[in-house]
Amino acid sequence: MNGEIETQINLKPSEMLLHLGPQHPLQPGPFLLDLVLEGETVKDATLEMGFIHKGIEKILENRTYLQCIPITDRMCYLASISNNEVFCSGVESLMGIEPTERAKYIRTIMLELTRIQSHLLGIGEYATDIGFLSMFLWMIREREPIISLLEMVTGARLNHSFVRFGGVAYDLPAGFKEKTLRTLNEIRKKVEKHDEIMSRDSVYLKRTKGVGVLSRKAAMELGVAGPAMRGSGVDYDIRKVDPYLLYPDLDFKVITAPNGDVFDRVKVRLSEILESIYIIEQCIDMIPGGPFKQGYNPYLIKPKPGEVYSRVEDPRGEMGMYIVSDGTFKPYRVKVRGPAFATMQALPPLLKGAYMADNAAIASSMDSCTSEVDR
Amino acid sequence: MDYIQLAFDLLGNPWIRGVVGLIVVGVIFFSAIVMVWLERKFLGDIQTRPGPNRVGGRFGLLQLVADAIKLFTKEDIVPENADKPVHAGGPIVALTSAFLMAVAVPYGVVSFEGSEYLLAVTTMDISALYVEAVAAVSIIALFMAGWGSNNKYSLLGAFRNIARMLGYEVPLGLAVLSVAVMAQSLDFVQIVSRQEQLAWFIFMQPLGFIVFGVALLADLGRIPFDQIEAEEELIAGVFTEYSSMRWGFAFFAEYLHAIVGACLVVILFLGGWSGLPFLGTLFIPPVLWFVGKVFVVIMVMIWIRGALPRVRIDQVTDLGWKVLFPYSLINLVWAAAVAMVVS
Repeated sequence: MNGEIETQINLKPSEMLLHLGPQHPLQPGPFLLDLVLEGETVKDATLEMGFIHKGIEKILENRTYLQCIPITDRMCYLASISNNEVFCSGVESLMGIEPTERAKYIRTIMLELTRIQSHLLGIGEYATDIGFLSMFLWMIREREPIISLLEMVTGARLNHSFVRFGGVAYDLPAGFKEKTLRTLNEIRKKVEKHDEIMSRDSVYLKRTKGVGVLSRKAAMELGVAGPAMRGSGVDYDIRKVDPYLLYPDLDFKVITAPNGDVFDRVKVRLSEILESIYIIEQCIDMIPGGPFKQGYNPYLIKPKPGEVYSRVEDPRGEMGMYIVSDGTFKPYRVKVRGPAFATMQALPPLLKGAYMADNAAIASSMDSCTSEVDR
Repeated sequence: MDYIQLAFDLLGNPWIRGVVGLIVVGVIFFSAIVMVWLERKFLGDIQTRPGPNRVGGRFGLLQLVADAIKLFTKEDIVPENADKPVHAGGPIVALTSAFLMAVAVPYGVVSFEGSEYLLAVTTMDISALYVEAVAAVSIIALFMAGWGSNNKYSLLGAFRNIARMLGYEVPLGLAVLSVAVMAQSLDFVQIVSRQEQLAWFIFMQPLGFIVFGVALLADLGRIPFDQIEAEEELIAGVFTEYSSMRWGFAFFAEYLHAIVGACLVVILFLGGWSGLPFLGTLFIPPVLWFVGKVFVVIMVMIWIRGALPRVRIDQVTDLGWKVLFPYSLINLVWAAAVAMVVS
């Protein structure tokens, strides 16, 4: 059937080529992993991406700046507010404006809520991939109130298109503060409980400790980003390295873990949820009054010619956009630097020598988003 | 006694026997359906979701009927390059082995006019050994399914199945042997009556109970030991290429094995249909005792499924050879010593 490829890579008689994908229950979206298996051990792995290329960068060149915002949502539906933020903050610095004080608070809160729900779903998907369906459903249950909060503010559950140049689309609705504080309190308790399960359950520990170890050096060389990198002990977070919005004034820790195995990557995500809750609780009491957006006509945005690289800390790591303006209504060129692709390309070296059964644990502990990779 | 005589006369008639046989098969099928429903509902409770709640009222009682209709009407797809007889044979052999196991399991006794009648399809001197042997056939069935499908994922599942069988049939057999040593018989009826005389074997050999329980879970291929059809690793493992009622057969066989496995736990370690000693004055028919205990064992199995992630295949075989096997040997020595002291 696959004779052509198999003769090309000269398999030994004891080896087998297994195409994991493009459609497989393990995967968050289509990608192809060609695994050379000997028994249950992976001898070699090749990664192929690009099955759902959407051409988002090209589409952005053909839209006015305002029209671009909904397109950036579609890069990854779990991080749409971060994607909005990175585009809008780039355009803002091209235009030479700053978001209003109130908008800064709202954007910070929304970004952290996005991080919480993305991490919850990421951990949940990872839990199903190691056969722990109950944990997945518990995580979905915990995620639902966060989605409701986001919906309460933005009117949408996934693709929010919420951030605007110099502000946000809508003001916070009445009762948002109380509802948020109540929800976050509950979620903190539940996440702590899940954290306890995930650090004590012996079967779980056996599956994850020492599996898929990404060394500190390899993580930096491969450009792995976000929780996956911090799980390898690299203390790198855009919120600290290149602070934006309110982050310079906020009190929060960058969560790291030393070992770089599956357990640590997931542990970092769980702890980051708690840290994000802490950040929101700091902000929400201090939201100032005033306008939530700058008073200008969004349909007539025309930044001065120039170029800018803006970056934010996505739930998955460093999300950067390089925007070139030629002084017209449309961006001349937008280049996206997504975190998920960097995380994905760490997979083949990690999978080499792993067990077939560990594929699932390793691949999903990286929490990469195929949609964003193939933007 | 006339009624009894009449009943035996009637059973001599092949037609009546056939009808009784169909009823027994129906009961076994029905219990599998009940178990599927229970599993869905109870797992739903664990996972904070309602479970089936549309077909057949609030509790989704008819969900399985809807599923069966769906399975019957789906297209039957056989891969072009499959080894067709072997592919077709897999689920049938699995289902057959489940029924052959169920045949030897006694469900209780009925007292009638001073004498006791055993409720079982058939009795034999070596029923424990027989059930073990027939259970092993299902492993061949899974291998047939994996091999005949001509699919790499299925093949990996089939290999895992064999690796697991090698690791777990031995401790499972040794645990049954320990029970046989203590009961001085391989006959289920004798084993139960011995437990009525002494004590339930879970108290006489707790280690044996644990070894048997873990090995049985592994043998049944339920989470945390469902590596042969681990969805996120092997799509559906040995059953990747099955659809329609072929898959339905495999699915049913799995649940029948689980039920017969629960029956075995009850008979070998939980005193079969004998009641709790301190409830001796309370009259509950033996059959109800048996069904109640099986129910409890099945619920524990579902609970384990909801509470644990999947173990990796090499850890499974490690557990079988390095932990359960030595423990089952220790338990065998212990059982022999206790049996000598008691007798």
